[in-house]
Amino acid sequence: MNTDRPEMPSRREWLRLLAGVPLAAVAACSSKNPYSHITGGIAGANHKVGHLLRDGAAIPAPDEYMEREIVIAGAGVSGLSAARWLDRKGHNDILLLEMGERTGGNAVWGQNKASAYPWGAHYLPVPDAADEELAAFLQAAGVITGYRNGLPVFNEYHLCHDPEERLFIHGHWQEGLLPHFGVPGPDRQQIAGFMQHVAALKEEKGTDGKYAFSIPLDTSSADERWRILDTITFAQYLKERGYTSAYLLWYLNYCCKDDYGMGIEHTSAWAGLHYFAARRGRAANADHSSILTWPQGNGFLADALRAQCGNAEIKTGVLLYRVLPHLDYVELHCLMPDTGKSFGIRAKKVLLSSPRYVNKHLLAGDISNRISGQASYAPWVVANITFSSLPQGRGTALCWDNVIYGRDSVGYVYANHQSLTPPVGKGVITWYLPIQAGSDKDARMQVYKRSWNDWVKVIMEDLSIAHRDIHRFVENIDVWVWGHGMIQPVPGYIWGRERTAAMRPVNDRIFFAHSDLSGISIFEEAFHQGIRAAKELSGMS
Amino acid sequence: MDSTSGSQQQSLNRSHRLLLFSVFVIATCGLIYELVAGTMASYLLGDSVTQFSTVIGAYLFSMGIGSWLSGKVDGDLFRWFILIEILVGVVGGCSAPVMFLLFEHVTSFRVVLYAFVALTGILVGLEIPILMRIMNAGVEFRHLVARVFTFDYIGALLASLIFPLLLIPYLGLIRTSLVFGLFNVGVAVYILYSFRETVRYRRRMATLVAGGSLVLVAGFVFAERIMSYSETLAFQDKVIYSKSTPYQRIVLTRNNRELRLFLNGNLQFSSADEYRYHEALVHPAMQAVPAAARVLILGGGDGLAVRELLRYPALKSVTLVDLDPAMTQMFSNSEMLLQLNKRSLLSDKVHVVNTDAFNYVRTDSSLYDVIIVDFPDPSNYSIGKLYTVKFYEEVSRLLQERGIMVIQSTSPLVARRSFWCIAHSLEAVGFTTVPYHVYVPSFGEWGYVMAMKGHLWHPEGTLPDGLRYINRNVMKTMTSFPPDMAEVPTDINKLNNQVLVNYFEEEWAPYEH
Ligand SMILES: Cc1cc2nc3c(=O)[nH]c(=O)nc-3n(C[C@H](O)[C@H](O)[C@H](O)COP(=O)(O)OP(=O)(O)OC[C@H]3O[C@@H](n4cnc5c(N)ncnc54)[C@H](O)[C@@H]3O)c2cc1C
Repeated sequence: MNTDRPEMPSRREWLRLLAGVPLAAVAACSSKNPYSHITGGIAGANHKVGHLLRDGAAIPAPDEYMEREIVIAGAGVSGLSAARWLDRKGHNDILLLEMGERTGGNAVWGQNKASAYPWGAHYLPVPDAADEELAAFLQAAGVITGYRNGLPVFNEYHLCHDPEERLFIHGHWQEGLLPHFGVPGPDRQQIAGFMQHVAALKEEKGTDGKYAFSIPLDTSSADERWRILDTITFAQYLKERGYTSAYLLWYLNYCCKDDYGMGIEHTSAWAGLHYFAARRGRAANADHSSILTWPQGNGFLADALRAQCGNAEIKTGVLLYRVLPHLDYVELHCLMPDTGKSFGIRAKKVLLSSPRYVNKHLLAGDISNRISGQASYAPWVVANITFSSLPQGRGTALCWDNVIYGRDSVGYVYANHQSLTPPVGKGVITWYLPIQAGSDKDARMQVYKRSWNDWVKVIMEDLSIAHRDIHRFVENIDVWVWGHGMIQPVPGYIWGRERTAAMRPVNDRIFFAHSDLSGISIFEEAFHQGIRAAKELSGMS
Repeated sequence: MDSTSGSQQQSLNRSHRLLLFSVFVIATCGLIYELVAGTMASYLLGDSVTQFSTVIGAYLFSMGIGSWLSGKVDGDLFRWFILIEILVGVVGGCSAPVMFLLFEHVTSFRVVLYAFVALTGILVGLEIPILMRIMNAGVEFRHLVARVFTFDYIGALLASLIFPLLLIPYLGLIRTSLVFGLFNVGVAVYILYSFRETVRYRRRMATLVAGGSLVLVAGFVFAERIMSYSETLAFQDKVIYSKSTPYQRIVLTRNNRELRLFLNGNLQFSSADEYRYHEALVHPAMQAVPAAARVLILGGGDGLAVRELLRYPALKSVTLVDLDPAMTQMFSNSEMLLQLNKRSLLSDKVHVVNTDAFNYVRTDSSLYDVIIVDFPDPSNYSIGKLYTVKFYEEVSRLLQERGIMVIQSTSPLVARRSFWCIAHSLEAVGFTTVPYHVYVPSFGEWGYVMAMKGHLWHPEGTLPDGLRYINRNVMKTMTSFPPDMAEVPTDINKLNNQVLVNYFEEEWAPYEH
């Protein structure tokens, strides 16, 4: 009920004065491996299962078959969304196969004593109220609790609690991610200028009356004026417009890394602008830039989708490794990697919500080439770090999203942020690193080769920039390597011909749904890809 | 010049340099002890200007006594010097930990402080004159004086720089004093084994050295342990109980007038005037619902609000939700605390639930006539969540239509916007509110807000006997706010803006150290 008594020396001050840096720190500095007390390992060995695909030929053909109406492969957001939609339209024989142990795909999550935490996707910006499908799903999931003056009211437990974001720059945590602490006037002006520029682009429409940039992106204007931006890089676009401020470029580079896993030098200008100009979210009880998040990240949304899948049957731990189109059915070969057993399915219709690089191995010949195309992927490394306490630097207190200026990593999110219970010592932060070096295959190999010890070192060094001696407080680090984390919207990918070709069904029996087919890997795209493909499948498109 | 005298000259030079180096080390140590004592005194006793200047004065004067005493010292000077080094090392080195441990166990800390200052000062005052007499042999006096004082002052400079910049931040006060004690002992060892003159008593001195070092090293190793007493120093009064729970640090202090409870260093109540706080928290609300049978208390694990509630015979049950089982256990077990809360937590009517309040109100489905919200002030974002409209919405479900809720709402004088922000946030959920304030000497001007579902506040009941503060008249005046606490416009506190924590931080900042 009261605060410190004024006349008392502050306890913390006393402790500092008396003890200096605890002895443990001195000891830790001198010991050879300062990380030896940290436990953990590499989680998420999905890529190993995926590698089975490449050697698919070695797997014997199944001798048992079952018959199904609709089979969906891949229980990521797109697959779950498709299953949900089909179930609601009255299809009652749906089988959803997922090679992982759990559903969710890039939105899977984990849990320990300290918190639930995401392994990948972790937030959804307040969506556009015009997106009725998404709004209906969110309302059923309890994320939208009602409407006021025509605007959705979002569940306040799910809106990101304050304080939301901070940036460590010039030795100080500033509020918000747009650099301003210690940033010279001219740079600030450029930053403000750019933000005005994209705010104006938000309202721009093409000759077809559609918004220049929209979500899902296939609803964006077809006007050449905008689409032409997909032929140059974002860096080029910025250069042409005279945006030179190092701080602004850092920020934009950070944004592209965050959403596309690559910097402005490689990102299509259209995609780069889409990040800023496509969101017209509105809410009765939050502002347009608010976001929704949960301790388990988008795992919450994936689980909610699953809960809305009704009677659809879901089988996890099943790898689909071959798809053979026949005249009046599709033959599927599946493997249960755990037992090594395989089985077959004769399905009327199949919806592949697996990524393009997987599909390449599932089908053969021309079809394989058409659907796989030139897709390139950004590997991601995600670490969940359990700590006993988190030493803070100067400035803004711990936020949900915490970024360190000028680093390869894109920072970390604090899993306990949305918790209503006061923190009891331990907590979890989820740290994200997109791998950008070299060609994407090299980058992937480099990532797989690194040991857990290597990652611990990389992570601790990165975080210690803003949190001195953080390793002393870290108890466990689990690392997840996403070899093909995100599709990369390089110039030409989004509005090139290949992408549309890859979406086209095969024989009206095999359909495709995955965020890869948008070229921008976000929840909304995956959600709508699922619905689009489900509509095609049930002949409703 | 022949070769023997040359090498003799060399060894003389070597021993001379060695001794000069000792001057440098002991000068550094000497100033460090002085700084340690000054810092200790100013932190423990407050008023740093007075403390520092009297400590420095006393120290210098003692050094003067030491210098004068050095004139009386005769005999084997090496032996004296080594002995003094060991003594300075042990006395100076242990000064911080010993003063620190004694602080709350002695009636006059000043006696201990100045005893240490005097003893260390005298010993340090002895060092240089004796050393100069040792070095006097074979060196011209003016060179000797020049060199010795040069090193003396360089040592002092070094000490005054590294003390605030390196030692305090990295080693802390206790270890700093111990480490420099070891340096003094180190000088003793150095001299002991570098000069042939000391051969006769090397053994005996070595034993002393070992003993002294052992004490200092042990102090260094157990500094952390010694430190665990440290919090006692943050409190003015004698700490009679302290405990770290997963949620907080609980400390009880006592002097001959009052008992005080601190949670994480923040004063929760003083037995001298808590009756004002708790009577004001409970009775105005209870007066408006005289037939109240079921009451919910959120926070308030000390049972003092419950004590006030139990004065109403119509009351059937009190549910008390406090996060920390250690708190409610302590207030159910300790005889001294049971006296204070009149064994309230042991009453049959009281049902204690140890869980966090937010989750409790989200899951509870009972209805209460009165809800008392007594959380710590919104000084951080996690407590701030318990003051949001979302929280009030959840509690609102648990409140009878004709019920009333009361919220402790920090000081409307110190934290005016914080106080009104709480009232406005309650109004945003649809409550009608009655903000009021009382004076609690330990806290100052203190505020509360009553919240009702549309009806007005009519304190119609009969006040229980035995109240010491609340009466009809106080209840009439407490709802009027003088201009310096009058309503100000504020934002509404939500989970996704947490304006209250920001207001609170700004408004209390000038009062924090
Ligand atoms: C590190 C990281 C962070 C991200 N953060 C965000 C974020 O904060 N917000 C956001 O909106 N988006 C984020 N994303 C993007 C995220 O990918 C999308 O939001 C979305 O989850 C993608 O869903 P999907 O269904 O398109 O793809 P996926 O999640 O890839 O789903 C495909 C599923 O198919 C399964 N599968 C593949 N092959 C087979 C097979 N042969 N047999 C059976 N099953 C198979 C996979 O195991 C997987 O479950 C992030 C992505 C990554 C990698």
